[in-house]
Amino acid sequence: MGRYAIRRLLQLIPVLLGTTFLINFMVWQLPGDPFAARCGQRACPDSYISAMREQFALDQPILVQYWHFLKNLLSGDLGVNFNQVSVATQLADAWPITIRLALMAVAFEAIVGIAAGVLSGLKRGGFLDNVITISTLLMLSLPVFVTGFILQWLLGVQLQWINPTVSPEAPLSELVIPAFVLASLNLAFTARLTRTSIVENRRSDYVRTAIAKGMTNKRVVAVHLLRNSLIPALTFLGTEVGSLMSGAIVTEGIFNIHGIGGLLFSAINNQDFTIVVPVTSLLVLIYLVTNLLVDLLYGVLDPRIRYE
Amino acid sequence: MIEVLPESAGSGTGSGALLEVENLHVEFHTRTGVAKAVNGVTYSVDAGETLAVLGESGSGKSVTAQTIMGILDIPPGKIAGGAIRFRGVDLLKLPEDERRKIRGEGIAMIFQDALSALNPVFPVGWQIAEMFRIHRGMSRADAKKKAIELMDRVRIPAAKDRVNDFPHQFSGGMRQRIMIAMSIALDPEVLIADEPTTALDVTVQAQIMELLAELQRDSNMGLILITHDLGVVADVADKIAVMYGGRIVENAPVHELYRNPTHPYTKGLLESIPRVDLKGQELYAIKGMPPNLLQMPTGCAFHPRCPYKQEKCVSEVPPLHTISGTRSSACHFWREVLDGDAQ
Repeated sequence: MGRYAIRRLLQLIPVLLGTTFLINFMVWQLPGDPFAARCGQRACPDSYISAMREQFALDQPILVQYWHFLKNLLSGDLGVNFNQVSVATQLADAWPITIRLALMAVAFEAIVGIAAGVLSGLKRGGFLDNVITISTLLMLSLPVFVTGFILQWLLGVQLQWINPTVSPEAPLSELVIPAFVLASLNLAFTARLTRTSIVENRRSDYVRTAIAKGMTNKRVVAVHLLRNSLIPALTFLGTEVGSLMSGAIVTEGIFNIHGIGGLLFSAINNQDFTIVVPVTSLLVLIYLVTNLLVDLLYGVLDPRIRYE
Repeated sequence: MIEVLPESAGSGTGSGALLEVENLHVEFHTRTGVAKAVNGVTYSVDAGETLAVLGESGSGKSVTAQTIMGILDIPPGKIAGGAIRFRGVDLLKLPEDERRKIRGEGIAMIFQDALSALNPVFPVGWQIAEMFRIHRGMSRADAKKKAIELMDRVRIPAAKDRVNDFPHQFSGGMRQRIMIAMSIALDPEVLIADEPTTALDVTVQAQIMELLAELQRDSNMGLILITHDLGVVADVADKIAVMYGGRIVENAPVHELYRNPTHPYTKGLLESIPRVDLKGQELYAIKGMPPNLLQMPTGCAFHPRCPYKQEKCVSEVPPLHTISGTRSSACHFWREVLDGDAQ
């Protein structure tokens, strides 16, 4: 497994090079001049535009620009953005908030999703099962921004239980509802996935064996049934961490959270590619690493899958 | 916690056999109707005795075993009547908690397909050790030692090195040995083997049967061997119960059954075994299909396929006629079957 992990890590390098090049290439090729509209009502002077172009090396060929990007990245210097503010500082301010939001969302998905799935799977056809099946169907059919605006309006504006927007420090208590919104789709899917595998495995031969061995009902369910039924749900949750990060852009926009999503959102609006490129690259990196971790976790959870 | 029932020596109820199934009825309620899988089955097994239950798929032999074990899926299954006495106590009347303690301790079971019957995500040693940890409250280390001893006893080579391997890393025969090791872990008094060799190839089948017979001799267990394979039964069984359509159609000591069957179904089964001296001739096969449990034939369930069929067979369910002390046949014309055989 160690050798497998190292091989997979080495495979990340060409993938990262390819994706970051594509990101660089694509953002700098977008139409429109990022500097032309930065001077308020009047047009920017040519001298300013050319000075900025020179500073950000936009007058160089794309390969040279990419080389600069790589060199800066490896030396840990992300430079400044178009407003001459350090990119690294902005990232350092925004990341912790998004990570907090994403981890809370993952916790929601894992705890609520799996618990709901197990309960409805064990009591198939019962009242609780129907409630869970219908509510997950509802969650699955609503896009995140709809769920977000509805909850914001209902809980924040109408009932005033929460602040409709999150303060700049983004304490955990204010992130509960945004995290739930962010988690909602995956949560519903996790619950359904868990339910299906519980229902399927309940009639399996090894569960019957466990009963025939004289194990208590509790032990049959909690040890023999759960251990097998959680494999698909856990791997699903793992692979979805990456997409959760990009989903955060919408959620952070709705609740005005100053995380990575908000940063990326405003950077795209301002055509400030000095932010867009490193943030997107980081999202790619997170996606790749979580996928690798899930593949390794899968081998641990299911001994039938072995890596040479 | 270990002994929940009176010792067999002290119990004087019933006929006194270790395990008795009496007039058991099991139904399955499905959307298309009620399937009567078991219709009044009675059999018993004593310590050190081997009962072979013979029958084709759907004859109710496995459902009876699952009902004894208490692992029948209820619903759709439903126990419609009868009694299952273990050491004189009716298991069907015991609360679930008491019943659970008998599983593994008093009556244990091995299944046809060991690959699916073993849990794929736990090491085999862990699964055997679980018996000692849960039933006997042993520590993990002690239980693992016992597991290795058991794996040695069922002759798994290099048991110590393989105790942490997973089921998929073993061959079919070895997996069935692990299943057996797990079932005999707590020295049960009755072992039910539900088609233990069906999924294995012929040479391995013989080894597994030998192992079962040996373990039975060593610990004086009662063994219920469920099979559809007459060849498997001959060497190990003491007595045979033949099942058809959820009923027992013939009871006999093993050699008498092979020599002189008293039911047309048994006779048909015996004649459909390939024989060396009849090489080149067409093999006999029982005509027709097993009965549909949702629409059982009237009278004798076997009559649509029976060469001895007469009007009485269509209208009247044959009772189980006692022929001699240990022999019985559920055929109106058992005498003719017996005579025909003697010709």
